[in-house]
Amino acid sequence: MMAGNRMSSEEFAIEVKDLVRIYKTSQGVFRKKKKETVAVDGISFSVRRGELFGMLGPNGAGKTTTIKMMTTLLLPTSGSISILGLDVAARPTDVRKRIGLVLGGEKGLYYRITARQNLRYFADLYGVPMSEREKRINDLLDRVGLKDRADDKVEDYSRGMKQRLHLAKGLVNDPEVVFMDEPTIGLDPQAARDARSMIKQLVADGKTMLLTTHYMYEADELCNRIAVVNKGKIVALDTPRGLKGLMQDMNIIEVEGFGITDHEIAALRGMEGVRTVSATISESKQVLRIQVVDASEMLTPVTQQLRDCRVIGTRIKEPTLEDAYLWLVEGDA
Amino acid sequence: MPRLRTITASFRNQALHFLADPQWLIPNVILPFMITLVVLILFEGQGGNFALYAVLGGGMMGMWGNTLYASGWSIQFDRWNGTLEEVLATPSRLIWIIAGRSMWNALIGILNGLAILLIAIFAFGMDITIRDPALFFLAFFATLMSLSALGLLFSSAFVLTRQAGVLTNGLEYPIYVGTGCMFPIALLPFWTAPLSLSLGPTWGIDAIRYAALDDYAGLQTGYWGDLLIMVAISIAYVAIAVYLFIVVEKRVRKDANLGRY
Repeated sequence: MMAGNRMSSEEFAIEVKDLVRIYKTSQGVFRKKKKETVAVDGISFSVRRGELFGMLGPNGAGKTTTIKMMTTLLLPTSGSISILGLDVAARPTDVRKRIGLVLGGEKGLYYRITARQNLRYFADLYGVPMSEREKRINDLLDRVGLKDRADDKVEDYSRGMKQRLHLAKGLVNDPEVVFMDEPTIGLDPQAARDARSMIKQLVADGKTMLLTTHYMYEADELCNRIAVVNKGKIVALDTPRGLKGLMQDMNIIEVEGFGITDHEIAALRGMEGVRTVSATISESKQVLRIQVVDASEMLTPVTQQLRDCRVIGTRIKEPTLEDAYLWLVEGDA
Repeated sequence: MPRLRTITASFRNQALHFLADPQWLIPNVILPFMITLVVLILFEGQGGNFALYAVLGGGMMGMWGNTLYASGWSIQFDRWNGTLEEVLATPSRLIWIIAGRSMWNALIGILNGLAILLIAIFAFGMDITIRDPALFFLAFFATLMSLSALGLLFSSAFVLTRQAGVLTNGLEYPIYVGTGCMFPIALLPFWTAPLSLSLGPTWGIDAIRYAALDDYAGLQTGYWGDLLIMVAISIAYVAIAVYLFIVVEKRVRKDANLGRY
């Protein structure tokens, strides 16, 4: 048993088994109504050392809750998590020393002090050796492109700069495993590309990474494997290529137009031969991506259904990772 | 993580925030200063012990106000700011992070006391003589540590609540009155005595008065007796706080309310 555990932790940086997290809330003062919400519902997966593992899922799917449990901020209701062979629930302090956490968004930084002072504070809390502290902070500031603004107060930073500081902060203790919750959110395209390059470099340097993202191209470009999470469960776990392979018998009819109502989209969804429909707005046009089994057969009925709308273009396309994702979280996968 | 490193980092971080936002001076320095000023004006010309009571009272109020601010409002600030989760994700214990903050804020309280002393001497011409300056400063410093320990004890509760700031406000005046920092606790109703005597700073303030005043006979335990009792109570505060923080940190990981505000 011992030997098995050792082998397992040598191969895997993260091991999650039957993880469940239930949030309990109550409403009312005298007659309290208790409510239970299952945020994570029995998920299991392992991440190899040096792997870049992605978690994809809609808002409320349970991604952030899972990350918070893996990073010791939350206790699981049941199940277990092992990071580098350490039980997260039993040995949180030992785990914290060896992991980095990048939570996205505007919060999580001290705004009234400078980026350098923020990094210095967190370096001290992580116990970074004093002899290495300043060099590491300078390297990180350089790496995220904040060297010239390092001594400005964070409250004067743009959202993208704050996000880059989050990245630097998550690496200040030179962690072996890095957890990133939507690391490129709020970054402009150039900064997002730089962040992705940095993530690739970190993995090339031997770090294990787990990231969540809403951007499919990002997951496709970066991740070795992706877990698609929906309603607290893993609905698919494979390489990006493997996930796209789920769509191999599918085609996409892409329709661009104006005035397409919810009623018409619902009608399309109800058509035989249509697997799922996604609707977005791009440059003021509506763009529908309709997943069908046989595009040549379905093109006419689809066009017919949209006859009262102003359709400006119809194309047949190859499925992308995003189509696979939409099928998994919205369709009947 | 080594505690001293955490305390030092937190102390420095608090100092940087203080210097970055001078508005913190208003509730923590200017307000107690004004209260003391009023007391000085009221007792101007009376001589005796009143001036020293006012000066000590103002200083203690400033120190307690600042300590409470560090343990209460700064946790609220972290919660709003989203940094409470970030610091809890580090290997440093939250209790030592808050201890560093409390020490900085109590130190600011000393500066407040010093300013009040100078105002009393130079603006009001008060004749303030301290019987034994060495014992006075020893008791003063020990009381400062005791206030920080008391703040630390309360701060475990502040981590659990989203209304830490309101709780902070509520705890300000009971300690001003209970410790007798502005007037002797002998003037309080008898039933308040157990509360007053269970507060470490009560004994510290008494020791300060023993060191400052001639023929002072406060709690009858003498200077060293006061100091000993205060140290024992303060150690108990820290021990209870360490235990409570273990419980609280486990509780917030179970209840998932750190990110809520």
